[in-house]
Amino acid sequence: MIQLSYLDYLSIEGRSFLHRLGPGWKIIGMLMVLSGIVLLRNLFGLFSLYGILLAFFFICRLPLRIFFLTLYPLIFTVLFIFISGFQLHFILLVFLKALSGSTGVVLLLATTPYPLIFRTLGRFLPSLLVTALFLTYRSIFILLKVLEETQHALYLRGGFQWKHPWRSLHNISNAFGHLIIKGIDASEKMYESMMLRGFKNKIHYRGE
Amino acid sequence: MSHIHLPDGVLPVWLWASGFIIAILIGFILFRFTKKEALTKKLPLLGMMAAAMVLGASVEIVPIAYHVNLMVISGILLEPSLIFLATFVVNVILALFGHGGITVIGLNTLTLSIEGIFGYLFFRLFWKILKRLTPVAFIATFLALCLSTFSMIGVVGLGVSHYEELIHKNEGHGIFEFKLLKEKHDPHGEDKGKGEVNFRRFIAIVLSLSFLGWILEGIITTLIVRYLHRLRPDLLRLEIGAS
Repeated sequence: MIQLSYLDYLSIEGRSFLHRLGPGWKIIGMLMVLSGIVLLRNLFGLFSLYGILLAFFFICRLPLRIFFLTLYPLIFTVLFIFISGFQLHFILLVFLKALSGSTGVVLLLATTPYPLIFRTLGRFLPSLLVTALFLTYRSIFILLKVLEETQHALYLRGGFQWKHPWRSLHNISNAFGHLIIKGIDASEKMYESMMLRGFKNKIHYRGE
Repeated sequence: MSHIHLPDGVLPVWLWASGFIIAILIGFILFRFTKKEALTKKLPLLGMMAAAMVLGASVEIVPIAYHVNLMVISGILLEPSLIFLATFVVNVILALFGHGGITVIGLNTLTLSIEGIFGYLFFRLFWKILKRLTPVAFIATFLALCLSTFSMIGVVGLGVSHYEELIHKNEGHGIFEFKLLKEKHDPHGEDKGKGEVNFRRFIAIVLSLSFLGWILEGIITTLIVRYLHRLRPDLLRLEIGAS
């Protein structure tokens, strides 16, 4: 999640052809990738899809640092290996589906600033939902800042140590409690400032 | 653990499509009975709590592949109608980071909101009976997680025939030749059932890991509730005299 701000930076500063492409086209592209993931059931098709996405990734010259983000879903996918009785075909199928999905999503996020994604979604989804999505996305950055400060306090109180599990759990819980209280305070201030700016259930983006 | 960490394309279409339809219907009904003013006022809070849940989900406890959801504490603070929208938003953002597929957002919203809504209900119910914060928070979290994990297992179980289809799809005409291996090792059908879905093993692994997760999350939620009760008791909306 710490990579979120870096993804944001890349989406704004990048100059590749995918960065210049309209967000609507990229969302349509993502939907096509999803359809491919859902419909394709043979390894050749999925390998090809993943290969195309990887080619886009490297053509856009996105840094390797965010490539590792695309591998993140594999942590969870491992659990579903057990359901198949370790059948190689099923494992490869599930892994390729997971990797294609995450690579597509990382490509979209690293080449499209999030206000543009939300603006495009706002044309099809209820405004309340899109506003909630936007506020959540914004709040993640606010909480990340709080978390950064809390980490120092946590470290001074002993942080997380396997030798002292109870104290560690106490520290983690206090950090989350602190995060929630700070978050609630910030949300109250955010609500007041939004009302002062004439907020009425919908966030308007530049150019609307 | 109550989250369905399946990627896109593994669950059958009818299952995830039904998940979306049911989630939309429930969302529609919930918002029909929620005052718009109250909703607008609580949107920033919803955003913050959803963000806290997303951050909680990104802290992975590696040995048991578990992450805290903070769903019960969010349910207690947001109440049922808002926790449903918050859960949907959390799942959309998590799916954008490959934490569960995009097509399973509907199903994830349903199973996770079970956790939030029942966490809230159990917390209120046990508070009325026990009037002691620590056991109430722990039991409410433990039971809510238990319920949502079983509902997740139920959802995964509904797709068993589809997984079998996926496993057998490649037999005889895939990139990797399984047919030769089968002929070599299984002349008398000794390995009958080898290629079948082993759902019991899946349940055993999920439940054993989940049990640790329920306890861990129960302790963390209890400590957070106690922390909030010390600093901002108004947020929990409880009568004075908690211990």
